[in-house]
Amino acid sequence: MLNIEHMSKVFYPGTVNEKTAIEYLNLHVNEGDFVTIVGSNGSGKSTLFNLIGGTYPVTGGNIFLDGKDVTHTAEHKRAFTLGRIFQDPTWGTAAKMSIEDNMITALSKGMKGLKISLNASKRALFKEELKKLSMGLEDRLKDNVGLLSGGQRQALTLLMTVLSRPKMLLLDEHTAALDPRNAQIVMDLTMQFITEYKLTTLMITHNMQHAIDFGNRLIMMDEGEIIVDLSNDQKKTLTVPRLVEMFKSIKQQEYASDEALLTL
Amino acid sequence: MLEGIFVDGLIFSIMVLGVLISYRILDFADLTCDGSFATGAAVATVAIINGSSLPVALLLAAVGGAVAGAVTATIHNELKVPGLLAGILTMTMLYSINIRILGGKANIPLLRIDTLYTKFPTLFSFVSTSWAQLLGTLIIVLIMKITVDLFFRTDLGISVGAMGSNEQMVVSMGIDPKILKVIGMAFSNALIALSGGLLAQYQGFADANLGQGMVVQGLAAIMIGEFLFDSNRISLITLRVIFGAIIYKALMFFGRYYGYHINLTPSDLKLLTGILVVVSLIIAQTRSAASSADARKKALKRNKQRRAELLKEANDVKH
Repeated sequence: MLNIEHMSKVFYPGTVNEKTAIEYLNLHVNEGDFVTIVGSNGSGKSTLFNLIGGTYPVTGGNIFLDGKDVTHTAEHKRAFTLGRIFQDPTWGTAAKMSIEDNMITALSKGMKGLKISLNASKRALFKEELKKLSMGLEDRLKDNVGLLSGGQRQALTLLMTVLSRPKMLLLDEHTAALDPRNAQIVMDLTMQFITEYKLTTLMITHNMQHAIDFGNRLIMMDEGEIIVDLSNDQKKTLTVPRLVEMFKSIKQQEYASDEALLTL
Repeated sequence: MLEGIFVDGLIFSIMVLGVLISYRILDFADLTCDGSFATGAAVATVAIINGSSLPVALLLAAVGGAVAGAVTATIHNELKVPGLLAGILTMTMLYSINIRILGGKANIPLLRIDTLYTKFPTLFSFVSTSWAQLLGTLIIVLIMKITVDLFFRTDLGISVGAMGSNEQMVVSMGIDPKILKVIGMAFSNALIALSGGLLAQYQGFADANLGQGMVVQGLAAIMIGEFLFDSNRISLITLRVIFGAIIYKALMFFGRYYGYHINLTPSDLKLLTGILVVVSLIIAQTRSAASSADARKKALKRNKQRRAELLKEANDVKH
């Protein structure tokens, strides 16, 4: 599904601010895999997603997505295969538009035409879809998205993302900005959609317990490299202290993420 | 006199619809407007003088504006400069182009030539001249309003609106925001130029300086409209823009007409327009602060009530 070969990313090359964010990274993800990604702050997790998604170009190496070389493909074209959800719930939806307008934009990928396709049958479909969230949004189709809470917006973003049936999901700490109750709801919905639509998924999380509980593969990143890569079997016996211990023995230093330690 | 204000306001309202699209819907601070308004006037005037039919002249004006808007969007897209700068660039270049269109002169009169405003009275001969002009303008404005309403209900229009609200979202939906910007800016400036083309016919001349200060006037009209009522429905948003445009023109008319009592000259009107925009911004800010404070108070009250209920329940269980 996803194949990354010798990818590297250097920011501000040739200046005093030169910073290598990703160094010679190789990653192969099979169709149907659910990979969780952990790593301390600045380890290159989000940069990895931005490179896969096409937010900025790679410095070297190649990215293959669904069998095609997308190394130099524009972000909006990669979006046909990818569904991306960000940490900030406001990034996935248009606040100044109604729920139904947001959903009609998300219904299919790609440039739209001069057709008015928002009709009664579409509204019925949206209501049906919104019921899956069980947040009462099915009765608020005409409300502006800006009126929703963070949890509701993130749940809506998730629903909109899967509405166009992407092949792969990139989740960048998508529950981190929510309160525990809403985070739980959104995470449950995420799992429900991933199993229902058999989505290949990469999920960045600061919550190590989540990383262990979810998915069938776990990756730990540090300084732009993958330092730990565990299969489903290895994950089964894994605990958070054991994972932190692994980091310590490889890097000869403490795991530097307050969030991770707080959510032990 | 009263009809005159309405005709003036209605012609102006088409321009404000254009400003609405760039400022409010696309979230693009576009100054092309000051140039493309005069472009519309110049193109329509020259076309009429050269014998093209009146609808064709208006259409050409709109096309001229659309090209100007597309140029601004392209400069912004490809050279990665802020929209504000891209608009100023196009506006500056348009000044020279407009004088070229006008044949090297700063203004051209439309004398002894049939324009829409000499045609309207014969077309609607059942009412007086000024009412016929008002009726004709009203029909054109309604057609434009409905066109805008319909466009922003299509899938394309909705995605243009979504881009103005959140660019990342349209990218995630597989749409190139650059194309949406070109489409939106072309549409916006087509309306603005069409309004210029109408105004030239109404006042009987085209002037290279016609567009000066149009953006701020347009913003003032939009803000006046926003005080009238609150809505997220495009048909009501365009309606309040038209009301706002007429109210603004009426205010300016009374400023000009009665202003001399307090020593106001026509050159003071720009200051008044600016102050109007600033005051509108202050009121809008105070209102939104007040409504969020209100929402906070309500939430606190709700929480308090809930806590009281829970306490009561707990007590009941104890007894």
